[in-house]
Amino acid sequence: MWPYILRRLLYSIPVYLGIILIVMAALRVNDPVAAYLGKNATEEQIRLKREAMGLDRPFLVQYGLFLKRIVTFDFGSPQNPYESWKFEGQQVSTKIAESVPATLAHTVPALIITTLISIGVSLLSAYYRGSLLDRTLMVLVVLGMSVSVLVFIIFGQYFGAYWLTEKVGTPIFATGYDAEQGLKAWRYNYMLPVFITVIVAMGYDTRFYRSVMVEETGRDYITTAIAKGATKPKIMCVHMLKNAMIPVITRIMITLPFLMAGSFLIESQFRIPGMGKLLLDALTNKDFPIIQAFTAIFAGVFILTNILTDVLYALVDPRVRLS
Amino acid sequence: MIRKIKRAWGGRPARKFRRNRLAVAALSLIGVYVAVGLCVMACDFARAVGSATKWWDVPQEGWVHFFTVQRADSEVGPLEMTGWLESQTPEKRLRDAEFTIGKFRNAMRRTPLSGLERIRLGELRVDLSEGEEAVAKLKVKLAEIQELRDKLNESQDLNVDGAAAAGLDELETRISDLFKPMTAGEKLRQAITMSLGTDRNGRSIMMRAVYSVKVAIQVGLVVGLVSVFIGSLLGAAAAYFGGWVDHAVVWLYSTLSSLPDLVLLAVLVFMFTGSMFDDVTKPWLSLVPLYCAMCATFWIGPCRVIRGEILKIKQLEYIQAATAVGFGRFYILVKHAIPNTMHIMFINFSLLFIAAIKNEVVLSFLGLGVKVGPSWGRMIQESTPQVINGFFWQIGAATVFMFFLVLAFNVLSDALQDAFDPKHVG
Repeated sequence: MWPYILRRLLYSIPVYLGIILIVMAALRVNDPVAAYLGKNATEEQIRLKREAMGLDRPFLVQYGLFLKRIVTFDFGSPQNPYESWKFEGQQVSTKIAESVPATLAHTVPALIITTLISIGVSLLSAYYRGSLLDRTLMVLVVLGMSVSVLVFIIFGQYFGAYWLTEKVGTPIFATGYDAEQGLKAWRYNYMLPVFITVIVAMGYDTRFYRSVMVEETGRDYITTAIAKGATKPKIMCVHMLKNAMIPVITRIMITLPFLMAGSFLIESQFRIPGMGKLLLDALTNKDFPIIQAFTAIFAGVFILTNILTDVLYALVDPRVRLS
Repeated sequence: MIRKIKRAWGGRPARKFRRNRLAVAALSLIGVYVAVGLCVMACDFARAVGSATKWWDVPQEGWVHFFTVQRADSEVGPLEMTGWLESQTPEKRLRDAEFTIGKFRNAMRRTPLSGLERIRLGELRVDLSEGEEAVAKLKVKLAEIQELRDKLNESQDLNVDGAAAAGLDELETRISDLFKPMTAGEKLRQAITMSLGTDRNGRSIMMRAVYSVKVAIQVGLVVGLVSVFIGSLLGAAAAYFGGWVDHAVVWLYSTLSSLPDLVLLAVLVFMFTGSMFDDVTKPWLSLVPLYCAMCATFWIGPCRVIRGEILKIKQLEYIQAATAVGFGRFYILVKHAIPNTMHIMFINFSLLFIAAIKNEVVLSFLGLGVKVGPSWGRMIQESTPQVINGFFWQIGAATVFMFFLVLAFNVLSDALQDAFDPKHVG
């Protein structure tokens, strides 16, 4: 196991270096300083900003310095400042650290609830395969998948927040994030976004899990189990479910990095100060340091989860050899 | 070529596909959408070619002007009118009348003649060539109308007041009397334009939704075709030639797929800001960052699948036979290996088409995608404040138009998978 993980880590180093190289080069195609300061900036202003950021140095030196930041995980500290352009005086590392809890507070519950519900529903659907229930569920899923995410969010916000508040009299869910209460008022601030995310994600997950389960039910070991006289509930919930877990786990693992980025649509619509909103705001503000740091961190997390997925594979399924 | 198509149409997968009635219906629906999109594109293209090359004298009126960005972006009537299903409330009718009166008042303020010419709501009944005399006539009429309006404004409750209801009807006929009566064709055109109401800038929702079909089809086609082409080419080459080609392609896609779409898009948007592609006056260029961002990640899917498939095909007997006969490697790849992955390309194309449309809508909603002209994403974004006020026509129109297209593609890709891959269970 450990040699495998070590080898994977070593292999991913050139990939990561490549990503950073591509990203850094791409971000410098257009002069970021000129883009940020706009057309009315003087030469002097541009020069000062460029020097403060170290953008006047040769590209390879910048590459090396940024790699050093990544290795030491130092995106701004009093000794080695790396300030956001829009929010002057604030380090990028604090900006990112502040936004992580806000994002995790709605993405983690959403992922757990979605997974549990969709596994349940798809198991039900696969159990009664071909029945009216199964067909109705699948039609509903396809219809749900065809409606734009935006509609779920906007109508969810309208009915969950405005309409319900009008009916009940007191606000149960927030239309927009209440920064004063923050995480303490979880139900008020986060419940509705979680609910909407679950509804949106459920369709895709249910469909995928069902097709995995249906595929598993056609395998030989199921025939064997039937032949030896195991009951249908036991076959479906014990034999089949265990084997169907492998693709399910992969899918969950693939979504893990996105827990960090957060659903940027949800965050921008409900004004949750999470990582998705941070990146989106940085884009509109042309806040170069945040974009660069965010990309680097995100790519790293992505690669690590990929390795973790493969390791988990081997843990769940002893047939998979790590070699 | 025709023989090939005929053979494919009679083949087993095609027969299986045709038996699936839902899939055929979906395909026809997609056909309708594509036809609408192509019509709009043809109008755009004809005008662009005509004005750019002088090969063709573009007429001022007529079919080429039926679908234009300018038309989809221009004011056609009062703000936030409801569509044909919902009757207007008396208050709204009074406000709409007020809107038209306001237009006339503004036009007559300084230079009445040129101001009146700019009113686009219809052709005026008075003849402007008569000069001041016509303006004086119009002023009298307008004064009468304003008097009537003031009386209605005093009424307490327009819903209950019987006299007020009659007055409202009178007001509306008088206002429409300011314009020349419409011909049957014009009436039909007006009915279509106003069928889904207007948005908060008084633009026709119907025209905007239809024009957005073109945007969606264009983005879907370009992104789908380019991604499938790049993906299958690289995937096939990697699998077939192996060695360093394989290593390079695998490195490229594992690198690019280590960057999630959103982040890659962020980088690309940042890269293109301020460049020639950021020019609002050239709509066709402003879509390039969108295309690049989507193609940069979308080609990975088909590339992976086709690489796997070609690796499998490479071992089969017919490839060995072709090698034994003495065909070149490149010839075998193009003539024997790639045609056998055609069905995968079809399925992938239809999957990518949906993904591209959905992404376009979300990105336009966030202000990162389509920046000029209408798009379903922009319509939904503009309708967010309206939803709170209970005006659902704009978001409804964009959603319904998009829903049927995506639904049709979902059904189609399922059917394609069923038809081509008998082992696939769904």
